[in-house]
Order: sequence, then C-alpha cells, then structure tokens
Amino acid sequence: MNETAIPESESRIELGTVKTGLGAIDLSVRVPVLVFFGSAIFWLIIGSLLFLLSSSQIHKPTAWWTLPGIPWLSYGRVYPAFVNCFVYGWTIPAGIGSGIWLLSRFSAGPSRYPSLPIYGCAVWNVGMITGIFSLLTGITTGRPLLEFPSYTALLLFFGFVLSGLYLLTILWNRRPGPLYISEWYLIGGLLWFAWMYGTANVTLSAPAAPGPAQPAINFWYIGSLMDLWLTPIALAAAFYLIPKIVEKPIYSEKLAFLGFGGLAIFGGWTGLTHIIGGPLPAWMITAAIVARVLMLIPVLAVAANFHLTMKGAFEDLRDDAVLRFITTGAMIYTAYAVEGSLISLRSVARFTQFTFVTQAHSELGFIGFFSLVLFGTIYYIGPRLLGRDWLFPKIVTTHFWLTVVGLGLLYFALTIGGTIQGFGLEDPDVPIVANSDLLQPFLTVQNVGVLLIAIGNLGFATAFGLMLLISTPVRERQATGDEAGKVPVKSAAEVRIA
Amino acid sequence: MKKLTGLFWAVCFLFGASWIGLVAYPYLTFAGLTQNKDAATGAVAPPGNPGTAAQGARVYAANGCVICHSQYVRQQSEGNDIARNWGTRRTVARDYMFDRQVFLGTSRLGADLTNVGVRQTDPQWFYRLLYNPHYLGHEAVMPAYPWLFQTRRIQGQESVDAVKLSGADTPPSGYEVVPTQEGKTLVEYLLSLKKNYALPEAPEQTQ
Repeated sequence: MNETAIPESESRIELGTVKTGLGAIDLSVRVPVLVFFGSAIFWLIIGSLLFLLSSSQIHKPTAWWTLPGIPWLSYGRVYPAFVNCFVYGWTIPAGIGSGIWLLSRFSAGPSRYPSLPIYGCAVWNVGMITGIFSLLTGITTGRPLLEFPSYTALLLFFGFVLSGLYLLTILWNRRPGPLYISEWYLIGGLLWFAWMYGTANVTLSAPAAPGPAQPAINFWYIGSLMDLWLTPIALAAAFYLIPKIVEKPIYSEKLAFLGFGGLAIFGGWTGLTHIIGGPLPAWMITAAIVARVLMLIPVLAVAANFHLTMKGAFEDLRDDAVLRFITTGAMIYTAYAVEGSLISLRSVARFTQFTFVTQAHSELGFIGFFSLVLFGTIYYIGPRLLGRDWLFPKIVTTHFWLTVVGLGLLYFALTIGGTIQGFGLEDPDVPIVANSDLLQPFLTVQNVGVLLIAIGNLGFATAFGLMLLISTPVRERQATGDEAGKVPVKSAAEVRIA
Repeated sequence: MKKLTGLFWAVCFLFGASWIGLVAYPYLTFAGLTQNKDAATGAVAPPGNPGTAAQGARVYAANGCVICHSQYVRQQSEGNDIARNWGTRRTVARDYMFDRQVFLGTSRLGADLTNVGVRQTDPQWFYRLLYNPHYLGHEAVMPAYPWLFQTRRIQGQESVDAVKLSGADTPPSGYEVVPTQEGKTLVEYLLSLKKNYALPEAPEQTQ
C-alpha cells in the first residue's frame, strides 16, 4: 500500500497521487477498467485476424487460403469488419478504460455507481456483435467508418453514454484545484465523440441527408474521429504517464494549452482532405487543407513539450518498456501529422489520393500512434490495478518490437507501392488493372507486417489473460530474483513499482 | 468547477463551428438543389435514377465495391481523370441529388465508376466480370462474386441473362448460370451510372 507522488516543487501542475498498491480509489475503478480493457483486447484480436485475412485477400484474391467464394468472408465485407473492430471494438473501450483510470487519479474518493460502466460496456459489446455480424452478412450503410446499421449505432451510442455518465461522476468527485492537461483532453474527447457519432448517424440515417451532403458529413466524421477522439485519448494518457515515469513535471503548461487549443480549433475541419476534387463547394475542401496544415502548430507544440520534459531522461527508454511504447507512439504522432499535411496539399494529393499511401498513413495513426500509446498505458495500469506483475515481461518487449517492425514493413511497403500506383494513375496511358497489378510485391511485404502485428497482439492478449488468472505478487517475484543472485529484469511495468 | 464550465463551453463552441459548416450547412442547403432545365431543348438534368437503382446500390454497399472503386471525377487541374476517359467534366453536388446512398470512395485500386454505364452498355460484360474477373484479365486484383449467380436447369429456352462462360466454369449441359435477383439489380445499378448530361456549373473539359 505504498504511495508515490510527484514532488510539486518545480511546477504548479498537480499530477495527482498514484496509488501503486490497491488504494480505495483504485479498488473502486478496478473492475470497470479491467472490463473495458478486456473487451478492447478481445476485439483487437478479432480485428487483427480479420486484418490478416483481408490483407491476404487483396494480395491474392484467387488463392484458396484467402477463402474465395464465401460471401460473408469476402474482402468487401471482411475489410470493413476489420476496420470497425479496430475503431469501435478496440480504440473506444480502450480509451474509456484508460479514461476511467486517469480521471480517477484526481478523485477525492472512491467512485460511486460502479455498475454503470459495466452496463455500458455490456450494451457496447452487444452493439459490436450485432454490428460485425451485420457487416459480414452484407447489412451495411456503405459509408466508410459509419457502416454499422442504425440499430447497432443506437446500441453503441447508448453504451457510450452510460460509460460517459460514469466518467462524469468521477469528474464531479475530483479534488479541488486546476484541471490537469490529461483532463482537458479526456473531457474534450468524450464530449466530441458523443457529439460526432450521435449527429453523424442521425443526420445520415434518421431523415436521410440529401445525397450531396452525405460525403461532407461522412468525412467530417472521419476527420473528427481521428483528431478529436483517438488523438485526445492517446495524448491524455501520454501527458499523464510520460511525466510520471520520468519523474519530472510537464515542461510547460502554456505549450500544452497551445496544443490542446489548436486541436480543438482545427480538429473538426480536417476530414475533407480525403476527397480533394470531390463534388463539394471548393471552400469546404480548401478549409480542410488549411486546417490540416495549421494542425502542425498544436502537433509541434505537443512534440516540443514531450521532448523538453524527457530531456535528460532519454536513457529511461532503455529500461522502461511502458515509456518506450508511449514515447514511440508520441513520436509517430508527429510524423503522422507532418505526412498528413503534406499529402493534403493539392499538388501532392494529385499523386497520393486514391492510393495505398493514404491507407498507410491512416494505419500509421491508428497503430503507430494510438495503439502504441494505449498498449503502453494498459501495460502500465494493469499490474497496478491488480497488485500483480506481468508474468512474462519478455512478452511486453516482444510485443513492442513486433508492432514497430510490422508497422514499419507495412507502412514503407504501402507508401512506396502507393506512390508508384499514384504516378501510374496520373498517366492516362497506363491501364488501371496493370497499374494495380504492379503492387503485388509491396502487398507481400505488407502481409508479413500484418502477420507480425497480429502475433504481437496475440502475445498482448495472452499476457493480459495470464495477469488476470495467475496471481504473482510483485514483491515475491523480485525477492526470488535477488535470491538467485541475478539482476532483476528491469522491464515492463515492473520497473517503477515498489 | 468554474474552469470545468469554461472548458466545456470552449470545447463545444470550437467543435460546433465545424459542425455548422460541414454538417448543418450542407444538410440544409443541398436539400434545396433543383434540376437544371435547358432553355433550348427543355431537357432536365440530372434526369433521376431508375426505380431499381436504390436496390442495386444496397448490393453495391453490401459487397464493399466502394472500398476499391470511386465515383467522382475531378477537374483536369486536380488530376488526370478526364484524360483517363472517366468523364468529360468534373462531378458536382447536383450530380448526386437523387442518390439515397453516395459512394464517393477513397481508393482507385479499380477504375472510377462515375460513368461506367456510358463506357459499358452490355449487361453480359458485367456478368462475366462479376462471375469470374479472369474473363477480362482482372483476376489478379479483383475478387469473384459467385454468390450473385446461380446454376439452374435450363427450362425451355436458355435465359437471355445466361452468363457466357468457358473452360472450367462451363455448367454441365442442360444447365445455365444466371444472375440472382441481387446480381441483376447490381448490374442494373452499374448500367445506370452515367453522368453524361450537361450542367452549367461544370462545363465540359478537354484533355
């Protein structure tokens, strides 16, 4: 039951008190957080398997092992099922779980209504099951990232609201004092997601929007989902855990405010860069491009803040696996944003729009930024909530390298292949089929990357499952390490406990 | 709690701006779009969709065609779509005013389909492509959709829709491969994809 608090001397920013043992607050949020993480990891695994299947199918549509001829396992249905598993099955429950834990760091006491999020998570999962089942049987709206039929959307929305109410009760119960940076992002992200998901579904489905308005709403949603849900959730975790792990306060609150404010101003406008040249008023698309470029201001503010916070503590990256996950994720966020503004410029988009470059870019955001940060967060929170340790710390480091190498293969293969594809598309003399045929070797490399990512995720799920099932008190393990006269393995979450 | 209230309003206000611009504004203004009437000939454009189009669009959505095929033409300054013969002018908001589902798409692993009904007018071409892309040399990138077809005993005369197959696909004698209802509506939808009428806001462009 020991407590570690960051000394407040150097900054007025209060980081809250983290209980590394099982304090009353941790006990009150333990079940909700673990239920959300468990559910997120379940869908992550289903999503990874569907990812592997769909990337094999686009590579070799006729090979027997890609299951041709089965309608409910055909590429056109597996691909959206994979994307929806990742976005709605993994990112949102993982975000809610880490949000509950982060907000409760600032609580005055244990949370009330602990059954609220359990109901929320149950409704959410019923929604996910109906949604994935619908997509595989061909019931879909056909709108990217809003493919789920309206009954699924309703269940998801209801499940999110129940969980959101619980988060509000935690927020209401906070200790007096200024809001911490992570709280800004979490409050923003929760409100924004409820708003974007609710209104996008209502305007597109209930009284169907006029045809030409549908893409505007759809791509507004896609841009907002990336910039105003995934980004704030991951940054909230990073802004809490980076200073916590390196044991230094965040470098500058002003810089952090610039990062948050910029995101809030530009985040809703960026989505239409996916359809440059599309049938919408020119100002909408121009506004999207301008927003994408200006987005560099908040992104660089965040990057500078993290860098200056970590200055002098970079060697911690070698020892601390959680820090490695989160820092790598944060660095990829900068790369993702820089590439995003580059490929949204009209002169570049001419060659990259409609190609695998854009797919590689969004996977860089989903896997490289969001997922890496959240993997690290779960690796950090899990043992602290259970007072246990990861049974095999090797899995944690292996998961990191499998994800990074797998993503690297996937990203560079699709970006290089996609650029070649883009130049071919711009040349009217190159037939389209021959042009897409050229991508074969790049798709082979992508498949290897996806396979590595999927293996890593399976290891992650195994580690999480073992942690739930097998009790390994931290002290005991370290004691045996010392007895054997070995240097205790400084890895994973182990390092800052005790 | 004062700061919390301030944050709440800031968050709502900033996001609300994009919501008004990209959700409420197009929702309300595009509902007021009207057909263009040509003063000389009296023809209206866009002409509206055939009755089966909405059904076919559902099959198009259900099988994920939108993942690899786009449905819009950019003007010549933004890309070589017109030089590729995917249209003679860019598409504009009015082109989609009768569509209940709009499939703009974000990938061109396959060809753009905005005007596929202008380029291909024979349903048989689509049937053969969908049953086995091998017939048109597309098997390396496009999957087959055999579940949009059925093999049945020929009753009396061979159906006009019977797919002309060869090699291993040939049905046993006395049998024929015909599109199911879903397959038929999908092809009717694809044949209906033509935006080859004139609109004043999108003049024809040459390469």
